[in-house]
Amino acid sequence: MTDPILQAREERWTKKLALARSLKARCHGQPASLAVLTLRMPSPLRTSGQFDELARIVFLSFADEVVESGIRVLGQEFRLGADGPEGYLAAEADAPTLKRAAVDLEACDPWGELVDIDIMDSEGEPFGRKELGMGPRACLVCGKEAACCSAGRTHDPDLVAERVREIAKRPRLSLKGMAERIGRLALTATLLEAAAAPKPGLVDPLSPGAHRDMDYFTFLSSAAALGPWFAEFARLGAGHRGELSGLLPILREAGKAAERDMFAATGGINTHKGLIFSMGLLCAGAGRLAAAGASLAPQTCAEPRLVASRAADIVQGITLRDFNGIDKGKATAGERLYASEGVRGIRGEAEDGFPAVIEHALPRLRAGLSAGLSMNDAMIDALLVLFSVVEDTNVLGRAGREGLDFLRAEAHRALAAGGMASAGGRKAILAMDKTLSARNISPGGCADLLALTVFLEQLSTAGD
Amino acid sequence: MEAKKTATAGSLESSDVLVTISPAAGSAVELKIESIVIKQFGKRIRSVTEEVVAASGTKGVSVHVQDRGALECTLRARLETAIARAAEPA
Repeated sequence: MTDPILQAREERWTKKLALARSLKARCHGQPASLAVLTLRMPSPLRTSGQFDELARIVFLSFADEVVESGIRVLGQEFRLGADGPEGYLAAEADAPTLKRAAVDLEACDPWGELVDIDIMDSEGEPFGRKELGMGPRACLVCGKEAACCSAGRTHDPDLVAERVREIAKRPRLSLKGMAERIGRLALTATLLEAAAAPKPGLVDPLSPGAHRDMDYFTFLSSAAALGPWFAEFARLGAGHRGELSGLLPILREAGKAAERDMFAATGGINTHKGLIFSMGLLCAGAGRLAAAGASLAPQTCAEPRLVASRAADIVQGITLRDFNGIDKGKATAGERLYASEGVRGIRGEAEDGFPAVIEHALPRLRAGLSAGLSMNDAMIDALLVLFSVVEDTNVLGRAGREGLDFLRAEAHRALAAGGMASAGGRKAILAMDKTLSARNISPGGCADLLALTVFLEQLSTAGD
Repeated sequence: MEAKKTATAGSLESSDVLVTISPAAGSAVELKIESIVIKQFGKRIRSVTEEVVAASGTKGVSVHVQDRGALECTLRARLETAIARAAEPA
């Protein structure tokens, strides 16, 4: 055989057969199979070297997907042969399971169209799409059955090459890039929340609300200090392997460092301590989802309910653990409230998957935006909804149960008057700002939940 | 040429073909053709196979072609290699 490419393909085949069959002996009756990734393009392109890195990235991403779906990887190797790049992955899974993962990647990865992932069971039998009841793959150029077009050389090679380059140019974010994007959206949400006005009782550009020791500028400094930490939380979530509950101690350490930066930026004032906890969880949850579905559409990775439920997985059981054996002397406001009234506060909200955000604030924000309200006005309306449903521990701590009841009644009144969309509603909200400030009611917990709401909204709509 | 043993060439990867040649009783040439593009290219695959086998002068063989959408030049090369390998002493 003189053609080195044909020879390389045959050698690869022989190697695959030997490898697949060796799995049988290694796995002691456990099902095992072999996946082999190659480039799916005419051989002059495949062997050109231009797509070696692309093949390596897709192969690593496939290996990640396999691990993420709970399959044990027995071994993997990526090499450059005479027929172009080839990636081998042996897994402790039957051929249909591994083939499904391969087909998903071929379909969902931005570069999936450019690779073939062949599966072989441990008897050396190929397991293809047909065996999964699926149709053949589509031609890159015309979308008809690919095998026909390539066997018959239906398309002009220049046209095929152009199409391959076009697909290879599709953007793909690295894990680092995804974490930075998540962090940027979290920072944006934090800034938008700070800027929204009028926020009754809270610090905004128009007034410091019920506060004497901080203003809008304190919040801007604090947000800027937290920006890099939001990306770090996302990166920690993305890089984490295994049970999500294992992330909590890691996030807490990062959270303490973020708090130190916040206090340094604000001159010792607590602006965002609660937000570091809750936004940190959501960033980590979003990072984890993005890493698991790196190849999926950004929208799929950023479904608010999914992000919130990943965050909830991280803190499962936290209320019971944190509030068991509270030291009364050193207890925080939230801890004292749990001890006296059983209020779970932000821990409970996180543990339950942020229902106040998902069920109440986010639908209101979206309804406002689609009704044509400005971002500011839609945010204020969503904030009023939060006032009306959340047991805000900041309010309970400073103004007691009576203060909370007053806040809720006022919020209901402003919403009933039409909220920011009506003159009556706006008047009620401005009046509320004065009375809450006078009564020392500052619903900071709700403000944090508003930032989370805006974050989830941006994450689910900002298409990259 | 004469087939002394069973020999294969190629693979079952996409755009390739696995050719298996084995000795058979008598002087006939038995063809077994499978292809994922049998509808479009079945006739052509059969005629190319017949032509390459005839050109080699091989008789008394069974030829099994399992095509995965190979180019015609690939099919020819795989057939020639398999025939040559089958003719080597066992």
